[in-house]
Amino acid sequence: MSDPKSQSTTQGAAAADTPQALPSATTELPPEALALLAPEEEIHLSISTDIKLDGLYGPAWLLATKKRLLAFSPNGGGPPEIVDLPLAEIESLEIQDLYGSGALKVRTQSTGRTVALFSKTLNAQFASLPDQLEELVRQARPDDEQIITRGRLDRAYLKRRCERCGQVIPRRMGVCPGCLESRKLLSRFLSYSLPYWPLAVTSLSILLIGTFIGLTPPLLLRTLIDDVMKPVADGNLDTVSLPLLGHATPSGALAWLVVLLLLINVSRNILSAVRSYLLARLGEQITFDMRRQVYHHLHRLSLNFYNDRDTGRIMASVTQDVGRLQDFLSDGLQETIRNILTILIICSILFYLNASLAAYVLLPTPLIVFITIRFGQRLHRTYRNLWRRWAGLSALLADVIPGVRVVKAFAQEHREIDKFEKRSQDLLQGELRAARTRSLFSPLMSFLTSLGTLIIWWVGGNEVLGQTMTLGAFVAFTGYMWQFYGPVESLCRLNHRFQRAATSAERVFEVLDSQPDVDDAPSAKTMPAIEGRVEFRNVTFAYEPGKPVIHDLSFTVEPGEMIGLAGHSGAGKSTLINLICRFYEVDEGSILIDGHEIREVQLRSLRDQIGVVLQDPFLFNGSVADNIAYGKPEATLGEVVGAAKAANAHDFICALPDGYDSIVGERAVRLSGGERQRLSIARAVLRNPRVLILDEATASMDTETEAQIQEALQRLIKGRTTFAIAHRLSTLRNANRLFIIDKGKLTEMGTHDELIELDGIYARLVRMQTEMSRIRVV
Amino acid sequence: MTMEESFALTDELNLLIPTDIRLYRDEFSDLVLEVAGREPERGIRVVRCFPISAGDHFIGLHSDKDVELGIVEDPKELDPTSRKSLTEELEHTYFRPQITAVDAITEQYHIPRWQVQTNRGPRNFEIRSSRRDIRVLSQGRILIRDADGNQYEIPDYRRLDPTSRALVENQI
Repeated sequence: MSDPKSQSTTQGAAAADTPQALPSATTELPPEALALLAPEEEIHLSISTDIKLDGLYGPAWLLATKKRLLAFSPNGGGPPEIVDLPLAEIESLEIQDLYGSGALKVRTQSTGRTVALFSKTLNAQFASLPDQLEELVRQARPDDEQIITRGRLDRAYLKRRCERCGQVIPRRMGVCPGCLESRKLLSRFLSYSLPYWPLAVTSLSILLIGTFIGLTPPLLLRTLIDDVMKPVADGNLDTVSLPLLGHATPSGALAWLVVLLLLINVSRNILSAVRSYLLARLGEQITFDMRRQVYHHLHRLSLNFYNDRDTGRIMASVTQDVGRLQDFLSDGLQETIRNILTILIICSILFYLNASLAAYVLLPTPLIVFITIRFGQRLHRTYRNLWRRWAGLSALLADVIPGVRVVKAFAQEHREIDKFEKRSQDLLQGELRAARTRSLFSPLMSFLTSLGTLIIWWVGGNEVLGQTMTLGAFVAFTGYMWQFYGPVESLCRLNHRFQRAATSAERVFEVLDSQPDVDDAPSAKTMPAIEGRVEFRNVTFAYEPGKPVIHDLSFTVEPGEMIGLAGHSGAGKSTLINLICRFYEVDEGSILIDGHEIREVQLRSLRDQIGVVLQDPFLFNGSVADNIAYGKPEATLGEVVGAAKAANAHDFICALPDGYDSIVGERAVRLSGGERQRLSIARAVLRNPRVLILDEATASMDTETEAQIQEALQRLIKGRTTFAIAHRLSTLRNANRLFIIDKGKLTEMGTHDELIELDGIYARLVRMQTEMSRIRVV
Repeated sequence: MTMEESFALTDELNLLIPTDIRLYRDEFSDLVLEVAGREPERGIRVVRCFPISAGDHFIGLHSDKDVELGIVEDPKELDPTSRKSLTEELEHTYFRPQITAVDAITEQYHIPRWQVQTNRGPRNFEIRSSRRDIRVLSQGRILIRDADGNQYEIPDYRRLDPTSRALVENQI
């Protein structure tokens, strides 16, 4: 802590490693800024920003020593703008999240000013700044007055950059393309094929043999010309000598070659059929294993995993990503190996036939590779652009067609037609541009590939004329040339394919590598039958480190008691319930049920005895009976009907055309909210849980439905420990005790009357709701 | 319904009468609103009702508790000091530099990276999705939001120099 210069880059260090990621953050403190410091003064905090105090882009710095806050902001050609404030005078710090930028404002008793401006790119660095500054101010001030920190930066954008390298993460991709270690990922993925190595080895050898055989016909052609036709043309009508067959009559040799060609073609096609089946089987096996493993793992993971990601992405991992990997394995990889083999074999045959001509013929290859790659990129861009325009057009349709009633009601048909026409016109332009590029591409490519043939004709033709090359070799050369460029072109597109597969592998492995936060300890015991005493001992819990949602909470609930949980939204009521179900692990303290610490019992045996009814009841696709018996598939029909009756659901179920066999679920929407809720209550009740949790079970229901559900609930809570969350406080009137949660703390506890007497948060909420209902009556 | 009974939409606006109010900065450089006959309100926040289509009209003045105190329809009608204070505060709150030239657009992993000159100096930024983050308005006006949420504006891309224009056209 003695050398000020070494301290000066504490904040900027991270940015210095990634100049590309944080374009405007300069970290080297200019000497003029250091000159502001007294000789013995140490820098305790230093941060560089990308907007100067005059509002122009450029580096500026905010420094703090033990005594002072300094802001140093170069001012074009003029002297730098310097802010110098004694820390001890600072009364409040305010971080302002503005539209398009952020600012740090500092106030003393008598003045106030902005000391730093920064673009949103630096939000991550500035988010923790007020806390650090506050700490320094506190140390600088002898008396222990509170300093006030206000404002918070929006952190939503933080996830858009890779935590490791700062690279922007493309939408839909979800993983950092810069940190993607394609080779490592793909080799890990290929390790899934190890259990099937005999299959893999067999199919690869077949691939090798098949490719080789497939490339022999031009060689046969050479033999046909040089060893059969040429001697005959030269007047040698009796015998010809073939490399393998020895001497034969010309027509016998011809027959022999025809049979050989037939054999080659037959065996090549049989091998190709066998190969493609075997490789497809290998791919299917591996992806089957992988899909199973991913899905299995998904169910082991805790809710935390699901909170951090959106459902669509998770589903895509199981279906799309695994599918893409399969595609890569059974198609991409196979093609790649075959292409490489083809190129190698053709090259060696060409060099074997005529080394100098081969060297000439391969000359245009780099040019072709280069142009294919460049053109591929251009084509890709054009198509992406085209795709965007298509998307724009279909977005318009998806917007307008369902809203056609509104269009007609406001008589705006003409405007919508114009809008469509404009987008359609854009699309037309895009299509035409794509067509131009496309129609240029294939003629260009076929011209380039014909270059090889031109060289053969000229160089090879001269050699044939000069008798240094046989006619058969010349023809074989031409034949190979035509087979050569296809694989080359296809390999040029390889990188894109690999990249896509690696991205999918990364996403799949991300799921597989996540560890469940809540898991059974090896020593976990089975939870014995619960009596229902729930105890919180100094429980603290935070979803995000440093921001506790539940704060040092302690209480005991006796068996059979009904507890009403009330408080403002976001106060921590649902979190409390999540903790009882052990969806999350507490950070500090412990939760005990009947004296058993819930961390030390098996999750299954705990959740088996807890019934949960949520605000938005989720029903699976299936019959009413299946849904009621979801938690206890072995339930008898009698139990199902009993549970439905207890939940006041029996009557409406019987009124359905198929009774208990009617299909409900996400796609069948025939049930009303109240009906669905009653099914979910029946589902919870069927398991005869000892602890019942009602999370806003009757919110968003009309009064009559609520009354029916309330009546059902009244019967159900008897003898069970019940926790009920409700915004409508009238729902909680039967609770034995009410817990009022505020900012993660238990602020009020008691019966309705006691809390009204207390005249605190609860009393205020009750008054507000009474007033509201009066307004509704009016 | 007679004309007297129908309500006028403009009555709902809560417009501040320009001659009745004064805006200035206090010693904390916070914006203060003085309405004739009322206590001055400190720590005023300014909110553009139409930040894109009419940034200099309909400016909402909010208290530090974020309650709207009224709307200034046209700052030009204010007295010069008030107008200057309001404009300053708007510029501080809405940071959206105007792109004057595009030097290069390179692409890595399908993320375009723009190198531009703005009226606030040179700047580099990356865009996550050209479709969502580049908004083309009428008359060649383009709004851009970069990967971190910063905003930029091209007042009329058709009037940029030919190189810049070609680069921009490729992206929209």
